[in-house]
Amino acid sequence: MITAEQKPLDEIRGTISHFRRILVLGCGSCVAECAAGGEKETGMLASALRMAAKMEGKEVLIHEKTLERQCVRDFIILLDDIVHEYDAVLSLGCGAGVQAVADMFSEIPVIPALNTEFLGETRDQGLWVENCLGGGDCMLYHFGGICPLARCSKHLLNGPCGGSVEGKCEIDPEIPCGWQLIIDRLEQHHALDRLEHVYPPKDWSKKQGGGPRKIIREDQQR
Amino acid sequence: MVQERSRKGGGTKKNELTLALFYCQNIPESGEGERQALEKKHGSSLRLFPIPCSGRLDPIHLLRALEEFADAAYVIACPEGACRYFEGNVRAQKRLDRTRDTIAQIGLERERLGIVVNAKDNPRGLGSVAEEILDRISGLPPSPVFGKRKVAKERRS
Repeated sequence: MITAEQKPLDEIRGTISHFRRILVLGCGSCVAECAAGGEKETGMLASALRMAAKMEGKEVLIHEKTLERQCVRDFIILLDDIVHEYDAVLSLGCGAGVQAVADMFSEIPVIPALNTEFLGETRDQGLWVENCLGGGDCMLYHFGGICPLARCSKHLLNGPCGGSVEGKCEIDPEIPCGWQLIIDRLEQHHALDRLEHVYPPKDWSKKQGGGPRKIIREDQQR
Repeated sequence: MVQERSRKGGGTKKNELTLALFYCQNIPESGEGERQALEKKHGSSLRLFPIPCSGRLDPIHLLRALEEFADAAYVIACPEGACRYFEGNVRAQKRLDRTRDTIAQIGLERERLGIVVNAKDNPRGLGSVAEEILDRISGLPPSPVFGKRKVAKERRS
């Protein structure tokens, strides 16, 4: 899941201040799960912005709508009939959603209302944690299903470092040491021998070394 | 619908403000009869919204109330440890705090939103708590959300 958090209202208001007809556009997927850009949050933001406009005596039209996914054109196309009624779209999608909507309606400014954060997991109610960097060459097998690149603060492939204290990271004692987790897990799986291998530096060419990535699946295409 | 209220003079009389009051239906004397009687007594100053538990309260309820008609929005919750659904009242408090942060960011007073947690030993009825909240908000000025619009309307006419 892609996680995000809403930008401060001041910043959002600054970016939309010169528009008079605004569509606040939510996304019902990842950002709804992390309570940043779903239907509820879209309604709240739109309501707060309408109140702020009224307090300033501005005549601003602010409507709200939530797409099931802002990063899929089959859903974005549902805006076709309404989007031209607005001067700008204020998107509560992740960065991918904002750009997908902007690419489809390039004549209308699409403004981000969220800061996209990381690929992560819903660990508990109200708690999201980063656990994937999208490296393009998954190594989880070797590390017992715990990614050292995402969960070790120093991204060490051959850890641990000397700063692990009682299972916590020296960067922040609130953060579990990723390498302690890896060792514990591999021990549980009777697979500690995997750590005898020395891993070469990560091949980042499979992440963004070759520029923006894409996946092509002919069997999925029209 | 925005209620008609006098904006003249320095002070604000209790009945010039509109309170949106969300209340847990598990508090005493909060049946439909009591609700109707209270709304009849206070007229447009009090709008009551029964909810099955204060945990059902969502920030959007509070914001929409402030946006559309209310000068203040409050919730009445059961005492901590006495929620029929275990932690609805705790959640209501957290949601209220977050919504207060939101309205503060647009320049509205945090005091326009509030929660009253009923007493554990001798819980009060809806009417008594509602009166207390109406008193509490009586010092607030009318909401600026409606003020500017009203001024603009008067200038046009």
